[in-house]
Amino acid sequence: MIERQAVHPFWCHVPWKCVLFCCFFVFLAGCVSGSLTRARSDFFSGRADEAAKVLADPDEVSGRDRLLYFMDKGLILHHLGRYEESIQTLLGATWLMEEQDRISMGEQAASLVTTEWVTEYKGEYAERLMVHTYLMMNYLITGHYEDALVEGKQALKVFDRHPDACRNDYFTRALIAQCFEIVGDINGAYIEYKKLANAMPDPSPVAARVYSLGMQLGFDDEVESYRQYVPEAEPNGAGGQKSAELVLFVSQGLSPVKIPQNIVLPPSIRFSFSTYLDRSHYYHPPEIIMASGSGEVRMVTSDVGQVLKDSLQDRLAQILIKETARAAAKEAIAQSVKDDDAELLVRIVLFLLEQPDTRCWETLPGYLTLVRIPVSPGQHQLTVNTFDGPGGSVTIPDININSGPQFYFYSVFSGSITTTAAD
Amino acid sequence: MSSNSLSTRMILWAAMAAAVLIAGCSASTRDISPDETIHYDESYDFTDKKAIVEAMVASLVTKSPLAARNDRPVMIIYNVANRTSEHIATDGITDDIRQKVMESGKAQFVNKEQRDNIERELAYQYGGNVLAETRTARARQIGAEYMLSGTLRSIEKEQQKQIRWFKKEMNYYSLVLELTNLQTGLIEWTDNKEIVRESSRPFIGW
Repeated sequence: MIERQAVHPFWCHVPWKCVLFCCFFVFLAGCVSGSLTRARSDFFSGRADEAAKVLADPDEVSGRDRLLYFMDKGLILHHLGRYEESIQTLLGATWLMEEQDRISMGEQAASLVTTEWVTEYKGEYAERLMVHTYLMMNYLITGHYEDALVEGKQALKVFDRHPDACRNDYFTRALIAQCFEIVGDINGAYIEYKKLANAMPDPSPVAARVYSLGMQLGFDDEVESYRQYVPEAEPNGAGGQKSAELVLFVSQGLSPVKIPQNIVLPPSIRFSFSTYLDRSHYYHPPEIIMASGSGEVRMVTSDVGQVLKDSLQDRLAQILIKETARAAAKEAIAQSVKDDDAELLVRIVLFLLEQPDTRCWETLPGYLTLVRIPVSPGQHQLTVNTFDGPGGSVTIPDININSGPQFYFYSVFSGSITTTAAD
Repeated sequence: MSSNSLSTRMILWAAMAAAVLIAGCSASTRDISPDETIHYDESYDFTDKKAIVEAMVASLVTKSPLAARNDRPVMIIYNVANRTSEHIATDGITDDIRQKVMESGKAQFVNKEQRDNIERELAYQYGGNVLAETRTARARQIGAEYMLSGTLRSIEKEQQKQIRWFKKEMNYYSLVLELTNLQTGLIEWTDNKEIVRESSRPFIGW
């Protein structure tokens, strides 16, 4: 007698735990912590206070996104003028970056068969640099000049490790030079200004500084070529009679964000990677209006978007190797499944899991400009115009400048003034 | 060997492994003597501060000009400038130096940090609420004869990029202190303490 055997669909043979496990990873893939998304949305809508509140509790953000939490929160607090809190938050980012300076075998193994989203976000090289940039700004504004220089030296390490990724970040380089200058290390300042002058397509915004510091150090021959950029009214390149300087950090626009890109090859091999998509398309050089007059205004601007793109490009080989290894591992897994139907399910799941890691520091501005304005002692009112339209004009009222060589730092965010400052 | 005894053994081994794992994962605390030398990595820590302070104080109180003076000259300590690439609270160094020098009985110190509070307190005493005969006399503060100042510097080096399991880093710290005679402007004593440390950490972990 032939016993009739019940025929079950193939999914009945797949262990349910396995299915759940796969569903969990599919769910996990492509998700940034909800509170980060809400905070960014609030920030972009002009509700920075709300954004800071959303990010009050670090435990609400996944451990994988902890670095982004520190970065976004630190920047939001900076724009709210809560510099001390911003410092503490961004220092959290620097400590985390140090801890992340190793390869986690567990994470790498998991990401090899699933997706890059299961790994801790370590930040692009340019983003890591920007953490030190914002710390420098915060320390300068709050008058902690030695700490600003400490961050400047940390930023120099990033420049040294990733020269190609960071070469176009003129703003940060100018900030480092400023940190050396303010603590009286003119040799350090001279070196950084000179590196900056060599890196910039047009060295005129910093040439006078190179010339002035070089002359002070007795490097007359070395700086002679920069003499041509020094205005006649400033024979020493030191800003003529104006001994104090207003220094503005002007943020404009939004940095690009990462978007997914895919290449699909038969039978189910999917290479996924991310590229940057611009969100700000126009740069308006800040226009400085001072009723009381000023010396020659000098500006150094970083196209943050370009720096981020260079940074991603610098990691390209690393990304390609990892993607190839993941595609090979997933193909091997799919081929090891004997049942055709089960193999199809596995291929679908692995295909869906292949999500490019589009995490990035979204609250970064599109452009950062360092503006140096020589001013005379007395009371000044200053307006910064960045574009025509609501919020494009920012006024900083009643700046009291004392006599003597001093710096006065302000951070200005295109759209509104976010702070005030310290001398 | 019966299957029963085999499974019992396996359970025992698993239990032992679990016990070792749990013991390894449990949190623990212990008191550490400040005299103990402990370094978690190559960066500046309390052991370095202690070594720096001890070396500098020993030099300061046993060399000229303090060694030759028995009248406890008055000194003022200015900040030690931090020129390292770490956030180091250098007032910890100056506080400890001041304490050790005072314990040695070789000098006295002006309280620079409390000047504003001293001024505020004196203003209060002369504000009309304090008995005239109990007021602290004004213009009786002692001027410093010497100024102690210094700079803490560091040089960091990382191993070149290459295929390796461990990453080596080396830090060099140097504290230079100077004692300046406020009347003449001459540096009458100077010394330095150097610390060099190398650490290595694995590139790969779990």
